[in-house]
Amino acid sequence: MKKIEAIWLPDVQQQVFRALMEVMSRPGKTAHLAELVDDCSALRALLATLIDGEVSLADRDQLLDSSDWPLLQCQQRDVESAAYVVCAGERAPDFEPKLGTLASPEHATTLILKLKSVQAGKQQCTLSGPGINGTQKIAVSGLNRAWLEQRQQWNSAFPLGVDIIVVDDTHVMALPRTTQIEVTSWDM
Amino acid sequence: MTAMRQAKAVYPFGFLDEYAKKEVRRTVLKAIAIPGYQVPYSSREMPMGRGFGTGGLQLTLSLIGSNDTLKVIDQGSDDSVNAVNLRSFIEMTCEGINTTDVTDEADLIQSRHRIPEKPLREDQLIILQVPYPDPLVVVEPSEDKRKVMHGEADYSRLLVKLYEDIVQFDEITISHRYPTRINHHYIIDPSPIPRWDVPKLHQSKALILLGAGREKKIYAVPPYTDAEPLAFDDVPFRVENFIDQHGKRRACDRCGDTTSFLDEFTSSDGNKVYQCSDSDWCREQLQKKGA
Repeated sequence: MKKIEAIWLPDVQQQVFRALMEVMSRPGKTAHLAELVDDCSALRALLATLIDGEVSLADRDQLLDSSDWPLLQCQQRDVESAAYVVCAGERAPDFEPKLGTLASPEHATTLILKLKSVQAGKQQCTLSGPGINGTQKIAVSGLNRAWLEQRQQWNSAFPLGVDIIVVDDTHVMALPRTTQIEVTSWDM
Repeated sequence: MTAMRQAKAVYPFGFLDEYAKKEVRRTVLKAIAIPGYQVPYSSREMPMGRGFGTGGLQLTLSLIGSNDTLKVIDQGSDDSVNAVNLRSFIEMTCEGINTTDVTDEADLIQSRHRIPEKPLREDQLIILQVPYPDPLVVVEPSEDKRKVMHGEADYSRLLVKLYEDIVQFDEITISHRYPTRINHHYIIDPSPIPRWDVPKLHQSKALILLGAGREKKIYAVPPYTDAEPLAFDDVPFRVENFIDQHGKRRACDRCGDTTSFLDEFTSSDGNKVYQCSDSDWCREQLQKKGA
């Protein structure tokens, strides 16, 4: 019998979701998913947790295996109309995601950026805003700075904007639209 | 004994199917990302009437896992009808979870109409059951228009409503469901918590989730987020003071505490009696006195 990977099991998805909710409510905080999801990547774990046939997904940089698509059951769309868009963080944004509308700001895209690391690196920022007690420092690597510049533009008229989830192989961190990001030092 | 009566229905963990849970979970993430915005979701039928806390219940069932410890309260008490029924339903459908009456021991708290007296910690989470999520409903009947007003943070008509209160009564007369502005934009109905609990929303250490099952909305106050009750510069917001006719702060009849929110009862001899509304707080104060 074929063994089902941990990320497709309801009890694992519940725990992955709780980790996701924790990082979304406390921007800059990272969650370690490796023990929860065996050898699966954090990216696949969070997609398995959030995505089903009701939502659309775009994979700009082919980060997913073709075998994942049938299991995710979602509608495959282009980057400008999908509800969830997965991108490699080192490649600059080349599209306009959905920002929602004034009456329905939840119809905005959730961007999922895959980085080299969300735990350490020479790209350092200070975060502030809801969910953060004062300020929070983060250090990542593998992020194209254009994302931050674009993000600032996309999020300039609250409540419109995009919510970003960043992942590396095993960790996840979130930058909801309310988070203010100030770059303190930047090296690729 | 018929076979029917012996038959045991088998439900998945958490009663809801995984698609329903996923939808609630996606909605929760959006609610956190847009503090105070009422995110619509397709509230499912639950085996109890809408209006009995189905919004809070769906949140709890979508969030809970077997290693969680849950506390369910209704008006501060673990033993009132709504809390007992919701707790036993969750116990029945979520095998392996722990439940507790002690605020300190719980990591998930589902509540109707109160926030515990004891300040919540970062590792805790409170879910409030909401009957009427939209504070603008008293001034604008059309939801389409209310959504635009919320988006534009246009609350002038709500302020006029409060002003009319002051003109008529010299005081804002809202006792519970006090409109509260979250992160300087959206105004929420914080559920029927008394004014006493409204300041606890401000810069809370714990995440606060609000679920309205009948109205099909989920919204959130993230931790460390500003929450300001609507008021005027010259008429500041105030909470219940529990001062008697002699100018003295009433104490709880049971534990003697003078710092908690009090419920008023009429005793069998016709006198008014005051007791802590938060039963776990009262128990703890009694225990401290005994020690």
